[in-house]
Amino acid sequence: MANKFDVDPDLVRKLAELLDDTGLSEIEYESTGRRIRVARQIGGAAMVSAGPAPSANAGSQTTATDVADAPAARKGTPILSPMVGTVFASPEPGAAPFISVGDTITEGQTVMLIEAMKTYNPVRATKSGKVTQILVGDSTPVEFGEELLLVE
Amino acid sequence: MFKKVLIANRGEIALRIHRACKEMGISTVAVHSTADADAMHVRLADESVCLGPPDAKQSYLNIPAIVSAATITGADAVHPGYGFLSEEASFASILEEHGFTFIGPSAEHIALMGDKVAAKQAVEENGVPVVPGSAGAIKSASEARSTADEIGYPVLIKAAGGGGGRGMQIVRSADEVETAYTMARTEAKASFRNDTVYMEKFLEKPRHIEVQVFADGQGGAVHLGERDCSLQRRHQKVLEEARSPALNDEQREKIGKIAADAVRRIGYANAGTIEFLFEDGEFYFIEMNTRLQVEHPVTEMITGIDMVREQIRVAAGSPLSFKQEDITFHGHAIECRITAEHPETFIPSPGLVTDYHPPGGLSVRVDSGLYAGYSIPPYYDSLVAKLIVHGRDRTECLMRLRRSLEEYVIGGIETTIPLHAKIIENSDFINGDYDIHWLERFVAGETSSD
Repeated sequence: MANKFDVDPDLVRKLAELLDDTGLSEIEYESTGRRIRVARQIGGAAMVSAGPAPSANAGSQTTATDVADAPAARKGTPILSPMVGTVFASPEPGAAPFISVGDTITEGQTVMLIEAMKTYNPVRATKSGKVTQILVGDSTPVEFGEELLLVE
Repeated sequence: MFKKVLIANRGEIALRIHRACKEMGISTVAVHSTADADAMHVRLADESVCLGPPDAKQSYLNIPAIVSAATITGADAVHPGYGFLSEEASFASILEEHGFTFIGPSAEHIALMGDKVAAKQAVEENGVPVVPGSAGAIKSASEARSTADEIGYPVLIKAAGGGGGRGMQIVRSADEVETAYTMARTEAKASFRNDTVYMEKFLEKPRHIEVQVFADGQGGAVHLGERDCSLQRRHQKVLEEARSPALNDEQREKIGKIAADAVRRIGYANAGTIEFLFEDGEFYFIEMNTRLQVEHPVTEMITGIDMVREQIRVAAGSPLSFKQEDITFHGHAIECRITAEHPETFIPSPGLVTDYHPPGGLSVRVDSGLYAGYSIPPYYDSLVAKLIVHGRDRTECLMRLRRSLEEYVIGGIETTIPLHAKIIENSDFINGDYDIHWLERFVAGETSSD
């Protein structure tokens, strides 16, 4: 169901500024039939993707994969969440994150933690390679199978 | 009242719960396995969370994943539906410990009724007639033998951790008892991790009649009438009706009152069903189910009461919306459980539904998540739709049911619609003259009016 979708430049600018101000990596905004996602590539410019929201109530707040991808090509294969929970990017509060974009990781290496019911479970890399994109920020809730990062 | 409810189930009951929530202005969270990502209730729910791969142990039975999903979505309460974790006491208590309301009775009552020996003792103490049997668990083969001799053959050896027709052995004579007893304990240990067994008189031709009860834990307790669920195949109900053609009003009121009084006395809260075997005018308690049942719609149709709504209200702390004198019964309702199986061989038939047209019209209700283009996953039970029909009396109900079954189209897979159409043409069924063995005989071509 494709609708003509006029992009509101002020809204986009406002969302991009919010990204910078808050240090968030992604903002998704939806309202009756339209959805905009603004995401920052770590170390790169803010990307904008926009499109009409899918027909039925698409309210899943945790399925990042539904959203139309940005014009910049995705590089690499995704590592998926093995469980439901909340992402922790660092081993403990205040510490450096496990990984950053550009890092080389090896299979089996802990790349982030997912917390569920007060226990912290390591997410282990399912392949070795270079981290090209981190798709979820600290404290993001994720579901089983959700894409966490891309590795090339 | 809750703002957000997480539906910890799938299929038609998840859709049922979603509907009740939306009518109350409550937003819904659908949790699902990867195999159910395209289920209708997932599409309609306000939010969805994928729990895990298709295997139920990693998804619908995965307590940490479900609790986690409730946490990240900020749900207030969880409705467990039927099956899966609905009668798992630890699920109810873990949810409560984490600050979520479990929409159902207390963990203590779930555990009490889940232990079939304890349940029988508890209801007997509260005035409910039970099947004559052992005083409790049977501890040895020789005790089995002497108890069986006392009860009189045939007897049934049942697993305390079983239920729903599982874990039962018939013993017809004294020389079989001790072997059957040993086998029953071994099988119970393997199936239920609990090898406790007890014994009951085996009734030859009973009907299965159950009473729907509802209580609020605050002194309010009612019965919503009985359902006749005698049409079963391999201990699975196939068709249910209310009211039972085998009872008169005096019997109905008597057993209804016994059931309501029992749940009031034990301080039960929320919906429940007390199941009886009925033979020669007598009722015998077999078990209590501490959850919403598949066949609840037939009760809704004759009482006009939305039971899921009432479950949610009671769980949120309200007293029951009605007293016994407010409840009136109108007409007759029948539910056909439609499964994705061949109507004669019962071979499962999952796969793509190419065409879908449910029947409609006055007093015709379909509870189903099916839609054209939906692929039924092979990992779960085969119930795909419930057709529930109401009439002012049983005859009108049967006419309407026949018309509805003729109209119902589910293309691309095999279903038991043709089986239901055959059942309702049979004169035994039309006369209401059937017991719990009737359907097996009908399917085998052995009923007298075939």
